[in-house]
Amino acid sequence: MIANLILGLPDQRPGGLVLTLIVAVGSGATAALLGIAYASACVRLPRTSLLLQAALAILRGVPLLLLIFVLGQTTRLTLPAAGFLALVLYSVSHIGETFRSFLARYPAPMTDQARLLGIGPVREWLTFRLPWTFRRSLDALATHWISLLKDTGALVVLGIGELTTVTKVLSERGSLAEWRTVVLTAGLLYLVTAVLLIRALAALRARYALKDVMSS
Amino acid sequence: MSAFAVYVAATVVLWATSAAMALVLAVLLAAGGRSPRRPVRIVAGSLTTLTRGVPTSLLVIAAGTFAMGTPPPGWLPNPFPGTPDGMVVVAWSIVAALAFGSAGHLGVILRSAYESLGEHWHEQVRTMGSSTRMTLALVVREVIPAGLPPVGARLVHHLHNTAFAALFPVADLFGWVQLQANTTFEVTHYAVVGALGYVVLSGAIWGACRLIEARVAGDRRVRRRPPAVAAVAVPR
Repeated sequence: MIANLILGLPDQRPGGLVLTLIVAVGSGATAALLGIAYASACVRLPRTSLLLQAALAILRGVPLLLLIFVLGQTTRLTLPAAGFLALVLYSVSHIGETFRSFLARYPAPMTDQARLLGIGPVREWLTFRLPWTFRRSLDALATHWISLLKDTGALVVLGIGELTTVTKVLSERGSLAEWRTVVLTAGLLYLVTAVLLIRALAALRARYALKDVMSS
Repeated sequence: MSAFAVYVAATVVLWATSAAMALVLAVLLAAGGRSPRRPVRIVAGSLTTLTRGVPTSLLVIAAGTFAMGTPPPGWLPNPFPGTPDGMVVVAWSIVAALAFGSAGHLGVILRSAYESLGEHWHEQVRTMGSSTRMTLALVVREVIPAGLPPVGARLVHHLHNTAFAALFPVADLFGWVQLQANTTFEVTHYAVVGALGYVVLSGAIWGACRLIEARVAGDRRVRRRPPAVAAVAVPR
């Protein structure tokens, strides 16, 4: 039972906790990159990107479960790919706005100083502005990534064999005692993973996050 | 009432009952986290970590699977439109799971909002010698502006979590989308209608929170306005 919960059902490996981690880390990282691109587009081309902003605002109002279901049913993607894409879109709709708000608040004097030092706009954007935005967003990003780890459970609607799906399958098979063991073990696995992630992100924030005092 | 309206109403009932339960639990967890007694703080802290660390999907699946084999007792009401009476225990279990899934997040938001009042504020209240009832009223009035925006965002997320009810024979909007899409194969059409339903409901929750926030802010402005007439009337 433990092996199934961690590695996935025998015919669906990798699955279980391993697949949950792969999907959470992969979609979180992809969404962070796309979020930066979205924020850059919004700041550089505010009027042109209005439609994109409106689309993401609507996307934030749609449940992740519905998004996963629609992509799984209407696209030609494989079910895991559709689930992954849904998680990425859902994440971008949330963290894209975080990046946009911080990128727009980049202090103008820092841009002026970069120009005085002869640093071009592209290099300034890549070496100063984006890292500054990323470090300012770390608090919000950490909250989202923890939430994303748990949100991978919504993939259960497509039957992709991540931890929640495996838990559902195993708990429906057995007796009440088995159901209790399966659910408690799965809950414990999520809890331990979430607590470890919280600790890791707290360390990352303590090391890299920019606070108001430091930036002023 | 059309089938769509029944399923929207079912989602609203699921959301309202579980959100009310979650808010009560959240207040208890937040108050427990601030308790002077260490065991109470430990219990509140552990429960908060538990609800924030375990996905709502898993809680719903656990509660629903457990309740599936339980026959409904006669005294249990069925306020859920579209859900058969035989599934009322499952529906209430899902409500409890949804409430437990959001309680920790809401509790942390409420505790942070309370702590944002600062020690000076508490000192002032103590100096004024306010009664417990008046202190509570003051706390509520001061905490609302700080806590309502994140509470509103969480309640929208909570609405989205009600979609997990569709994993069981309990009526809700996402279940309607699934049912119609599987019956007619017009997935996009019904998905758009369902998404619009959720967007409207999310907007309504967000709008209601903004209204309460504006109203409380208005009250605070009125109460803090300097008593101009009284100042003029003071004899020199």
